[in-house]
Amino acid sequence: MILLQLLVNGLVTGCALGVVAISFALIYATTKIFHVAHAGVYTLAGYAAWWSVSHGVPEPLALLVAIVVCAAVGALIQSQLYARLERRRATHLVILIASLGLLAVMQNIIAMVFSPDILQFPIPWSSATVSVGGIRLTWSQVLTLGCCIAAYGGTVWFAYFTTLGKRIRAVAANPFLAEITRLRPHSVYVYVVAIASAIVALPGVLVPLDLGLQPYGGITPLLTATIAMIAGGVGSISGAFLLSIVIAELQNLSLLVMPGEWSIGITFFIFVIFMLFRPTGLFAAAR
Amino acid sequence: MPHAIRHAFAALSICACTVGAAQADTIHLGAVIPLTGPAAVVGNQEMRGIQFAIDEANAKGGVQGDKVTVQFEDNQAKADQAVLAFNKLVDLQSIPMMFVGYSGPTLAMAPLATRKQVLLVNAGAQADKLSTASPYLVNTLPSTGDEVKVMVKYLLEQGKKKAAVLYENDAPGIGGRDDFVAMFPKAGGTIVAQEPVQFGQTDYRPALLKLAAAKPDVLYVVITAGMPSLVQQIHQMKPDFLVAGSTFAADPAAIADPASNGLIHTQVQIDAPPELAVAFKKKYGADMDFFARQYYNAAQIMLTVLDKLATEKKPITGKNIHDTLFQIHSFHGLIPMVFNTNTATVPIGINEMKDGKDITLKQVTAAQ
Repeated sequence: MILLQLLVNGLVTGCALGVVAISFALIYATTKIFHVAHAGVYTLAGYAAWWSVSHGVPEPLALLVAIVVCAAVGALIQSQLYARLERRRATHLVILIASLGLLAVMQNIIAMVFSPDILQFPIPWSSATVSVGGIRLTWSQVLTLGCCIAAYGGTVWFAYFTTLGKRIRAVAANPFLAEITRLRPHSVYVYVVAIASAIVALPGVLVPLDLGLQPYGGITPLLTATIAMIAGGVGSISGAFLLSIVIAELQNLSLLVMPGEWSIGITFFIFVIFMLFRPTGLFAAAR
Repeated sequence: MPHAIRHAFAALSICACTVGAAQADTIHLGAVIPLTGPAAVVGNQEMRGIQFAIDEANAKGGVQGDKVTVQFEDNQAKADQAVLAFNKLVDLQSIPMMFVGYSGPTLAMAPLATRKQVLLVNAGAQADKLSTASPYLVNTLPSTGDEVKVMVKYLLEQGKKKAAVLYENDAPGIGGRDDFVAMFPKAGGTIVAQEPVQFGQTDYRPALLKLAAAKPDVLYVVITAGMPSLVQQIHQMKPDFLVAGSTFAADPAAIADPASNGLIHTQVQIDAPPELAVAFKKKYGADMDFFARQYYNAAQIMLTVLDKLATEKKPITGKNIHDTLFQIHSFHGLIPMVFNTNTATVPIGINEMKDGKDITLKQVTAAQ
C-alpha cells in the first residue's frame, strides 16, 4: 500500500511540476530566454490567490485573479525588461542575470508585503482527505491532479490547433523567417510570456493550497521543471510534462530503498547519465 | 580664499569633535541573525525582541546615561553570510558584542569570536556543538541534547518503546537526531526508522509514509521550519502513533491549528508578563513569541552587564563583557538563569498542544 500511495503522491507532484515545465518550455523554446523569474511569477500566483481569499473573494474567482495578475506581470516582464534589453543588444547571459535579479526583487517584495512566514490558505476543505481504495489524498491534491492534467491537454490543444499557437510555433522554429513573413515575433514573445505566466499560476495556487506559501518557494520547482524540460527535449510539451512525472516518481519511490537525503542526488545522477547518451532529450525528434 | 579654507577646516574640526562626542555617549552592539530567506520569520522576531529591550532601556536613560544601539546584519541563516557580517561589524565598527542566531552561522563565527575576543550571545540556536564552540559564545537556552534527555525520559515513562525520527538535514536537525538516536536506546527504547528532510521543505508526505510503515509508538520530529505543514500532513494520515518534538515544534501557527492536537514537545520555559506582551503587541502588531521573549531576555542580560561595567568604569570590550557576565553569574530577567558554564541552566517543560493552546504538563530543570 505504501508503494501505491507513494506512486499517487508522485503523480500529483509530477503533474504540478509538469505544468511548470511546459510553461517554462513554452517561453524558452520561443524566446530563447532562460526566464528564471518564472519562479517569482509562480510564487506571486499563490500570494495573489491567498490575498484574494483572505479578503473574501470566492475560491474560483481567487484562482482567476491569480491567473490574470500573473499574465499581466508576465507581459510586463517581457515588454518592459527583456524586450528593452534585447533592443540594446544585450546577450542572453545579461538577460539571464537580469532575470535572476528580478526574481530576487520579486521574492523580497513578496516577503516584505506578506511576511516571510509560511502561510496557509484559510480554506478548511482543502486539507480534508478523501480515501479511495486505501489511497488517501487531500482535496487540494485531487484538484491539483485534475487541473494540471487539464492544463497540459489545454496547452497541447492551444499549441497545435489555434492560430496563435501555430504562430508561436512558427516563431519558435525560425524567428528570422517569422520576421520576414510579418508574424511579428516581438509581439508573439509578449503573448507567450503572458500565456505561460497564466498557465504557471495554476500550480502556483494549487500546490501552496496543499503545502503552504513561502516567498522563496518557487526556485526548487523551477529547477526540477527545467531539468524535465531539457531531458524531455527542448520544445516538446509532452516530453517536459512526462519527464516531470518521471522525476517526481523517482524522487518519491527512491525513498523505499534509500534515505531521503540521497533521493534528489541519485535522481539527478540518473538524468546526467541519461543526458550523456541522449543529450538532445527524450522527445527531441518529435519537435 | 585662505580665510575660507581656515573656516572650512574649523567647521570640519567642530563636526569631527561633535561626532566623537556622540560616539562616546553611545554604546554600539551588533546582531547577526536571519532577516531574509526561509528563516526570516524567526530572525525578525529575534530582532524585535532585542530592539524592544534596547528601546525600553534608552527610554529610561540608557546605560547610566549612555544610549545603546544595535546594528542588525542579515546572515540569511547561512554560515558564509554570517562570517562576512561578523567581520564587517568587528573590523569596521569595533563592535565588542553581538547577538547571534541559528546554529550553522553561529558555529562559523565562533572561532573568529575566540580570536578577536568578541562576545557572541545566542538565545535561539540549540545545536550541541554550541556549548563548547568558543569561550566567547554564551547560550541563554539549553542545547538540543538537554531537551532530548528530558523527552526520552518522559516518553519511556509513557510506555513508548519504539521511536521513528524525522529530522532536518542541517546542524540543529542532525544534532537533535544524533542525541535522540543515542539516548533513546540507552534508556531502553528502540529506533525503528529515521528520515531526513530539507530546511524550508513543506512536503513531508513521502518521509512520513516511510516512517509510519515502520509502525513506531512515537514519531520524534526535529525541524526548525515548516511545522504548520507538518502537523497538517501528519493529521491527514490519521496516525496511531504519538508525535513528539522539541522547542522548535512550538510554532504559533502550528499550535493554533487543531491538526496539532496531542503533539507533545519539550519547551524552554520563558513567559512574558502580560503588560510586556501587551506593549510589544501594541508596538509591532504581533504577539511576543518564544524567540522575541528569548532575545528580549538576552538583551536584558547584556544591559545588566553593561550597567555593571559602567559602574566599575571599565572599558566596554568583548573580554570585559564576557568576564563581567560570569562574575554576575545569576540573572533574573524573564526567567531565572544561571551561568555555570557557557550554556545557561534554565527550566524545561513538557508541553502538549491542545485546542489552540500549548499546555505545560510538567516542568524540570536540565542538568548542565
